[in-house]
Amino acid sequence: MTGYLVRRLLATIPVMMVVAVVVFSLIHLAPGDPAAIIAGDNVTAKQIAEIRERLGLEEPLWKQFALWVGNLAKGDLGTSIFSRKPVTELIVQRAEPTIALTATTLVVAITLAITAGVLAAWKAGTWIDRGVMIFAVMGYSVPVFVVGYGLVYVFSMQLKWLPVQGYAPIADGLVPFIRHLILPSVALGLAYVALIARITRTSMLEVLSEDYIRTADAKGVATRPKLMRHALKNAAVPIATVIGIGVALLIGGVVITETVFNIPGIGRLTVDAILKRDYPIIQGIILIFSAWYVLINLAVDVLYTFLDPRIRY
Amino acid sequence: MATARSLEPVAAAVVARPKRSALAEFVRRNPTIAVGGLILAFMAAVALLAPWVAGDPIRFQPIDRLQPPSAAFWFGTDNLGRDVYARTVYGARISLIVGLMVAAVAILFGVLVGLASGFYRRLDGIVMRVMDGLMAIPPILLAIALVALTKASVEIVIVAIAIPEIPRVVRLVRSVVLTVREQPYVDAAIASGTRTAKILFRHILPNTIAPLIVQATYVIASAVITEAALSFLGAGVPPEIPTWGNMIAEARLFLQIAPWPIFFPGLCLAILVLAVNLLGDGLRDRLDPRIARRM
Amino acid sequence: MKTTRRRVLQGAAAAASLATFGIRSRASFGQSGVVRFVPHGDVRSLDPIWTTANMSAYHGAMVYDTLFGIDADLQPKPQMVESWEISDDQLNYKFALRDGLKWHDGTVVSAEDCVASLYRWSARDGGGQHMMKRVREIVATGDKTFEFHLEEPYGLVLDVLAKTSTPLCYMMRAADAATDPNDQVTTNIGSGPFRFVEDEWVPGSKLVYERNPDYVPRNEPASGMAGGKVVHIERAEWNIMGDPQTAMAALQAGEIDFFEVPPLDLIDILKADPAIRIEVLNKLGNVGQIRLNHLHPPFDKVEARQGMLALVNQEDYMRACIGNPDYYQICGSQFACGSLMENDAGLEWMENAPDVEKAKELFAAAGYDGRAVVILQPTDIPILSNAALVTAQLLRSAGIEVEVAASDWGGVVTRRAVKAPVEEGGWNIFHTWAGGNAQSNPIALSAHAATGENAWFGWPEDARHEELRDAWAAAPTLEERQEIARQLQENSYRIVTQCIFGQWVGPVAYRDSLSDILAIPEIIPFWNMKKSA
Repeated sequence: MTGYLVRRLLATIPVMMVVAVVVFSLIHLAPGDPAAIIAGDNVTAKQIAEIRERLGLEEPLWKQFALWVGNLAKGDLGTSIFSRKPVTELIVQRAEPTIALTATTLVVAITLAITAGVLAAWKAGTWIDRGVMIFAVMGYSVPVFVVGYGLVYVFSMQLKWLPVQGYAPIADGLVPFIRHLILPSVALGLAYVALIARITRTSMLEVLSEDYIRTADAKGVATRPKLMRHALKNAAVPIATVIGIGVALLIGGVVITETVFNIPGIGRLTVDAILKRDYPIIQGIILIFSAWYVLINLAVDVLYTFLDPRIRY
Repeated sequence: MATARSLEPVAAAVVARPKRSALAEFVRRNPTIAVGGLILAFMAAVALLAPWVAGDPIRFQPIDRLQPPSAAFWFGTDNLGRDVYARTVYGARISLIVGLMVAAVAILFGVLVGLASGFYRRLDGIVMRVMDGLMAIPPILLAIALVALTKASVEIVIVAIAIPEIPRVVRLVRSVVLTVREQPYVDAAIASGTRTAKILFRHILPNTIAPLIVQATYVIASAVITEAALSFLGAGVPPEIPTWGNMIAEARLFLQIAPWPIFFPGLCLAILVLAVNLLGDGLRDRLDPRIARRM
Repeated sequence: MKTTRRRVLQGAAAAASLATFGIRSRASFGQSGVVRFVPHGDVRSLDPIWTTANMSAYHGAMVYDTLFGIDADLQPKPQMVESWEISDDQLNYKFALRDGLKWHDGTVVSAEDCVASLYRWSARDGGGQHMMKRVREIVATGDKTFEFHLEEPYGLVLDVLAKTSTPLCYMMRAADAATDPNDQVTTNIGSGPFRFVEDEWVPGSKLVYERNPDYVPRNEPASGMAGGKVVHIERAEWNIMGDPQTAMAALQAGEIDFFEVPPLDLIDILKADPAIRIEVLNKLGNVGQIRLNHLHPPFDKVEARQGMLALVNQEDYMRACIGNPDYYQICGSQFACGSLMENDAGLEWMENAPDVEKAKELFAAAGYDGRAVVILQPTDIPILSNAALVTAQLLRSAGIEVEVAASDWGGVVTRRAVKAPVEEGGWNIFHTWAGGNAQSNPIALSAHAATGENAWFGWPEDARHEELRDAWAAAPTLEERQEIARQLQENSYRIVTQCIFGQWVGPVAYRDSLSDILAIPEIIPFWNMKKSA
């Protein structure tokens, strides 16, 4: 097991290299000039060129890449071209809201989805099954921002139960923290209910048709404990996979939610950085996201061994 | 002889059963596939017939902006005075094209890479690391970056949405290859000197078709929704070309005062996603033997 | 003295009233002293000299101060300057700073600081550069005095120092002003009415300013950027929101106090809300420009440019881009209607717009060969995105091939700097706008220059235009400047430096707890503003 862990951790290095090269090439080879953007409107081409020069953007690409990688090795992710703040500091500043949103969204999505999936599997082939799955899909077929606007209109503007926007750090109190996160998590969570519910349903169905379930039936075990104990535990493996995927997807999905609900998170930071070509931020964040994703995958794989004793590395 | 006589009415009844019940039988046993498929077929037909069924989706008269549905404009006009009905119909084209092309690209590359990776052990290590790397880059961010950094066009949006889907297809194909490769008949084929290509495409590939079809349907749905998300962030298909996604995104400001430019493409988008998902679910239930047995 | 119950009660009452008085005065500063503002964009750079972005100018107005400022009548008046003298030959300007000016780090503002700031600013500013061509040197002559020594008379010195078009002439400490003009300053120490609270800055999301208790306002009523800048609030929190609908909903729910750019189509909803005020602060509004690329075909030929001009139907543009007729006007003047330089010279093109037949003839005369005209379209700025589509449709109606190149604003800004031909990544048309006040100044606005390769994107070239611009700057009286502006406009439409697609105003929306917001073109001031509890 330890050998496996070590091998997997070592394997992250080539993965990160791939990511680093892809990201760097992507943003530097393609046209896009942060100097032109930052200079504002009332400038001449010559002034833009001078700024480019000072920002070190005129250096040959390999040199810029080497510089970046060199700094990476020292733990320095670089400095924002615009705000001159270290990328690491920016990420830390914005991490809490995104992590909070991701966590609450997963809670909402998983709760709704596993309930739906189990119910659908249990009543497979009937109209309940189809109805549940259709409801699940509907949460996904309306774009997140439309759902978001709708929720705000009903719950914030009309009923005035919840705030319209913003994020309250948990340090300022649990109640405002939760109140600000309810609508965003529901809006975003609905989009993932279908995905997780479908996988739950499929896994449950595959497992329910296995012989040992029929044995439990024959033994006269009651329905609910039977479902819970035998079926769900075995179905947990692919579900855990999906959750791993879901977490990664969320990193991208939060972007829209953060915009609509004005949550100062990493998703919004990255999109803004891309739109204004703030290369150090883009490179730094995508690298961090990738590391995060790779680690999550590793955690899920390790979780497999606890959930399914048959799997051994 | 009493037995032979008593069989005749049965025989007659068997012969007399109407032929069309085969189709009706199919629909009865697979309502999800039937409904999903029918809706998709209808949308595809409308998309193909767009030039005959709808007006001009690009021309506008600013003076006509934000008119509610009327005899002249069946679905009303948007904020530039464009005909929402014409744009919705033409939007079917681009949305469907985006969905289908993304699925096609993802599946094509995914199959090639997955087959190779699953079959050749030495390639497997490297390929899976590269795939991990690709998967690690958040899809929406990759898409925004690609579009923002090159230019906005239907082709780039298709590529941007397809790239993050490829690793998933690769994993799927690879897992099938790994399983099938262990089968005795494959061993036999290798032992008897069959060419690798033949093994791959004759024996292994057919086993991937069922899960691939199912996966394709989900990719189509996901692609259309992602396109809407990209348009929201300003990185989707250029706004002159209508897609359901960018129509919704562009008109979102007017939700409270003029909901029709959002409502109609939104409804179509939701129905498309629903239909595709129904189709996918139905196909999976039918094609996965363990589930089919239970139904 | 015997302690009677009465005395105790009296004492208690006195104590209680003192306590409530204390609580009340704290409360009037506590929550109600914070103004939560949603601006039109992010402050991407904190150096308002280095960048010409408007948001940085807003930041500058909070933290920094200017030598002169325009008053409510758009006339330059002293701010940091106490008195000044101009020599009879107009070649010597003596300035004296007023008392009480201190930097946020406690040191006193000196003439050295101002001289250094002037040099750094003029290295970046078009108007400043224009002025510095006539200035031999700027020197400090004492702790609080400095002088300009000119080679030739320049009537616009005070106007240039006071202008609000970016970059404004903000004063910084000498150490900061020593930073190369092509680099950003690394601190945010100014002498302005607010201090920047750097600890609470979340780049891209939030900026916080607190009242500067050491600021000494002029002993005059507030008037534009001049006059006394008295601050009545404790803090200003700027919230960058990416979604205008969210900002609107937040304003209605009372989660923010002041929203700079409510979407015009939704104004009626806000107007119906009794707790919200709608006001047009920037009466000169914004002027839309259609920039043509003079370097490459087809617009390298004046006939083709004239053809484009003949097609410009401002009503189409304004309806498509702005929508609400209450907030736009048809105005063909290159110098913004409502400004001092507005005139009606050379506006024949407006009479029959769009004159498709004439456009076709003109393009034919220019030898148009059927190649696609590339229009840059920023999809993340709705006004400009729609303007691009209007231009495309108008050109197509005249038989011109059009390619609409969609990208984000960053992409547009990158590509418009490319001087190469279209096939090599160049462009033919892009759209943008300038503030009405900036637009009305032929010197300060780069878009008005016709210096060819050194001009603003589009690179128009015309010697006569430059002569006229110089003459405008040298003209001693307002009347003469207005006459020259007429000639400039006539000439502008003769060679078609750029087309104008309309003029509009953007009202701000704020809750009724706010009042007394000054109307200054291109700046949102937080001094003078009051917030009731």
